[in-house]
Amino acid sequence: MTAIALALIGVSAGLLGSLMGVGGGVIVVPALSELYGVPFREAVAVSLVVIIANSSASSAAYVQRGASDLRIGVVLELATVTGAILGSSVAGLAPVRTLKLLFAAVAIYSAVSLWLRRHQASEAQVAGAYEVRGWGPGLAVSTAAGALSGLLGVGGGVFKMPAMTLAMGVPFKVAAATSNFMIGVTAAAGAYVYWGRGEVNAELAAPVVVGTFVGARLGSSLLERLPARRLQVAFAGILAFLGGRMAWNVLGGPG
Amino acid sequence: MNRAVSLALWIGTFTGVGLCLGAALAHAAGLGASARIASLGVVALLLTPPLRLAVTAAAFWREGGRRYAAAAGVVLLALAIAAARALTR
Repeated sequence: MTAIALALIGVSAGLLGSLMGVGGGVIVVPALSELYGVPFREAVAVSLVVIIANSSASSAAYVQRGASDLRIGVVLELATVTGAILGSSVAGLAPVRTLKLLFAAVAIYSAVSLWLRRHQASEAQVAGAYEVRGWGPGLAVSTAAGALSGLLGVGGGVFKMPAMTLAMGVPFKVAAATSNFMIGVTAAAGAYVYWGRGEVNAELAAPVVVGTFVGARLGSSLLERLPARRLQVAFAGILAFLGGRMAWNVLGGPG
Repeated sequence: MNRAVSLALWIGTFTGVGLCLGAALAHAAGLGASARIASLGVVALLLTPPLRLAVTAAAFWREGGRRYAAAAGVVLLALAIAAARALTR
């Protein structure tokens, strides 16, 4: 596998992250494990490092603009980090087949979520101009999202977003920026556990990180010019394909 | 507060991504140091979230948001314990 192929996986993940508000993990993990034969846990570990880079770069911009609600972020991080440490610890014991099936389910859920979101209006809001409620459901879903992040190397934004917008009353754009703010810390908690097991392959991660950074910058500069809704549908199709292919392979299909 | 947190995130990101780029270029040039540079890049990225948490906790403390500072501090402690366990395995 060449560095260029790895960087291209990163570019796709970065574009997806910046254009769709989804962590790049749902692209990086199946691309590495299913298309290039990287061991699943190693692919998850690379994905967590990529998510940290992607989240740090994009949330730096969001925080600077005051779009992230740091108060909600630090409280929900208590839950996501607890979940991530538990999830990544369990990932070291769980059968890869089970992890792959769970990943396939999350990828297909993300695809459906992207498809449904294609007509969603997102109002411009700044952090703080609303009343936050429903902390209980928010913390519960954040713990689960953190666990999935540690288990599968995904950001978990597709689960936190509905919890923040529907249960906690946080406006869509603030929820997206706050979710992004939390994802890096959550991914770091999981990555430390993978690092301890010797599953973080830095040479594999480096070109993917660079590609993700370029993809994310490209995505944010093209955001206004690209047909975002059509891209959202296209990415939903790619995710459904990758998730379906992973499930098919695990359940006895060829390949 | 936003400016300090954002600055911490940019510093960590540029250091990590810069080192990863250096590693990818070194690998392409066939230099033996590429693995070490890649490891340094990944470590820089892994240290970015704790750096951001420390800056966030300090900023909340300065602004009187003691409960939020404590929350950020607890998350930072959890990350430190996880990192220490990883290093001692």
